[in-house]
Amino acid sequence: MSATETTPVKTSSVLAVLRQPLLIAIVLIGVLLAFGEALSPGFASGEQILRLLVVASLLGLVAAGQNLVILAGREGIDLSVGGIVSLSAIVAGNVMSGQDASIPLAILACVATGALFGFLNGVGVTVMRIPPLVMTLGMLGVLQGLLVVIRQGIPSGKAAPALADFVAKPFLFGLPGTIWLWVAVGLFMAFLLRRTVFGQRVYAIGSNEHAAFMAGVPVKRMRVAVFTFSGIFAAIAGLCLLGYSGSSFSNVGEQYMVPSIIAVVFGGTPLAGGKGGYTGTMAGAVLLTILQSILTTVNIDESGRQMIYGATLLVLMLFYGRGRRMRG
Amino acid sequence: MSKLELSGVSKTYGATVALRRGDLSVEAGEVHVLVGSNGSGKSTLCKIVAGSVKPDGGRVAIDGEPVAIGGPKASKAKGIGIFYQELSLAAHRTVEENICLADMPVTAGLFVDRKALSKRAEKYIALFETVSGDDFAAETVVGNLRADQRQLVEIMKTLATEAPILIFDEPTSALDRAQAERFFEILGDLKAEGRSIIFISHRMDEIFAVGDRVTVMRDGETVGTRILAETEPTAVIQLMVGSKDDLAEAAVNPPDAAERSGTPVLEVSGFSGPGFRDISFSVAAGEILGFGGLHGQGQSAVLRSLFGAEPYGGGRISLEGTPVHYSNPRDAILLGMAYVSGDRGRDGIVNGRPIFENVVPVHFLRNGLKIVQPKVLKKRVDPALDALRTKYASLWQAINSLSGGNQQKVVIARWLVDQPTVLLLDDPTKGVDLSAKSDLFALIRELAREGMGIVLYSSEDAELLNNADRILVFNQGRVTRELTGADRTRFNLYHAAYEAAS
Repeated sequence: MSATETTPVKTSSVLAVLRQPLLIAIVLIGVLLAFGEALSPGFASGEQILRLLVVASLLGLVAAGQNLVILAGREGIDLSVGGIVSLSAIVAGNVMSGQDASIPLAILACVATGALFGFLNGVGVTVMRIPPLVMTLGMLGVLQGLLVVIRQGIPSGKAAPALADFVAKPFLFGLPGTIWLWVAVGLFMAFLLRRTVFGQRVYAIGSNEHAAFMAGVPVKRMRVAVFTFSGIFAAIAGLCLLGYSGSSFSNVGEQYMVPSIIAVVFGGTPLAGGKGGYTGTMAGAVLLTILQSILTTVNIDESGRQMIYGATLLVLMLFYGRGRRMRG
Repeated sequence: MSKLELSGVSKTYGATVALRRGDLSVEAGEVHVLVGSNGSGKSTLCKIVAGSVKPDGGRVAIDGEPVAIGGPKASKAKGIGIFYQELSLAAHRTVEENICLADMPVTAGLFVDRKALSKRAEKYIALFETVSGDDFAAETVVGNLRADQRQLVEIMKTLATEAPILIFDEPTSALDRAQAERFFEILGDLKAEGRSIIFISHRMDEIFAVGDRVTVMRDGETVGTRILAETEPTAVIQLMVGSKDDLAEAAVNPPDAAERSGTPVLEVSGFSGPGFRDISFSVAAGEILGFGGLHGQGQSAVLRSLFGAEPYGGGRISLEGTPVHYSNPRDAILLGMAYVSGDRGRDGIVNGRPIFENVVPVHFLRNGLKIVQPKVLKKRVDPALDALRTKYASLWQAINSLSGGNQQKVVIARWLVDQPTVLLLDDPTKGVDLSAKSDLFALIRELAREGMGIVLYSSEDAELLNNADRILVFNQGRVTRELTGADRTRFNLYHAAYEAAS
């Protein structure tokens, strides 16, 4: 996959601009791995890298939906993804209760949960005209409240053995199922953005919503759809997370909100939307996961990590803001 | 000695000559009317006086003294007050604050003196007391006022400069009759005080009611000054039109009317909405129907509503004899409508995206496509772009890398992949170079020949006269005249446009 989600055929100029973030990300991934290896030998071993990729794929799944929402523009952002991950993990865990036979039903319930809350976000943003930032932040609050009510603080739900195996154990050619799932999502996103009318409409409304409207693009329906996609991807991530950790514990999803945005922005999709793609976002997810792992290795706790994430996002905004001005 | 005298003033922007030779002489105690069609240079002339545009050449003199007006501040110091057509009010401030905005009374050099401010504003508010409406007060926030009331505030603000030279650029466009008449009375008083007033208007009745002299501009030049009491409206219009009455060959011999008999492709009756009332017309297959008149008389609003982009209040629309209803562009497109806006930055181009993606959206919609097949689509996209002689290196280059004319061609090509039944053109050549214009009009005539119904609004009168088979002249949201055949002359167009709306 190349970084040309924007165009079906590669051209040197478009490629040159879009390759930059991807190239930077890949170089940084190498640097961080080397740095990790130097800090703690074995950090960049094959086994360890596989484990990192599994963790990265969970973030990558969440970031896929985030990516669509941001691409569609008009200050599109989904702050509720963390809440949806948590809730869908709990729904899936309770439906399957450790039984392999219940997995299909659990998947259905889990995806339906994500789709529902994503859809509600979309309706709030389009029909009720609530800014995405406010709408999804409010939704996050609702979801957190809901979690407290459902859970009452007691861990509940249990992953089925087959799910746990799929997520973490080698599934095909020695790679765990989650990684394969992520690759499939990567291919799906590339196809969606480059080869479908839906994808082109996402870019169109992200670049000039009014012109898209005047060319007959169903702008509101599109916006509801991208938020629904975001909910669904977060739910799939929640399902994998359940398999990864065995049972669902409180607020498992919270850790994904800011990193999913950073991964998208780092991957070359500006917060203003309209350009970029998912390939870069995948690299961004890997990069962030390695960074997180290094921070854990050097014993920086969760709050410290949050601060570093926040600072990273600000630095990125500064970097890309400057870049645009120079190009213009 | 004249109060204000401009002689041989000129201004060019790059290759465009905005003002070739502007002469204007205004006496003290005179209302001097400035008229001319769109782009004749009158607003450039006013901007030079106001100091917002620096002339390239010529001489400006006040009281016989040559002056250089360096900026709006300098023009204020020289005693010039200007009423801006585009309202320059602060929406969140009160009426009295806006009136005194340019020169706030202060105490101790720092604090706004509210008492002095109210007292000063009071005088100007009182001038319009009888006509400003019950809900109009000194403390009202401007943003909460009606359009006509805001325009009154703008007038009061101009009067508050107490400048010896006042410029009013279409000050009555939003006013009702009583308000306009009160304003003219006030102009009479100002005149009696010995002030000089430059008045721009497009209404012949107004011009003759308040003006002493009129200066006519055409194609960037002052063509003459007349004493209004000694002249006729038709003579003024003749001066604006000049000797040329340019009908191009194609327009002189419009396609035979008999060819266009049968069901009209578009029929509109009793169409009303924001900015227009009771519009009825029909467009035959193969016909180019022109919308003419002064800028902003409802032409664009009608086209946008017809395309479903703005809601309309009432009326019936039929396409090829079938009554249709729709409330968004999507449905209009599916019924075979197409719309090209002159404001391509807002309505047309999908910024930063490739040419390809800018052409295909309508094709996707009309054919219900879900999957993008670039190789297949290219065969449809290329001919549409070639029909307009669009210049581009690759379909995948960003649309922004093209010139304005080529960007507009790409936007138009969007509608040509699948031929629409009706093509609505809303001042499509705004900001487009000459060669692109001629490509565009050649194509439009060709499309009409193939049986498409076309509605063309243009702010350039020559474009209308050269290309439209029939012209509806809009005046204050209504069609006041229809020009057909040999009647399609510049003189008739101006005459209908400058007439007082009934």
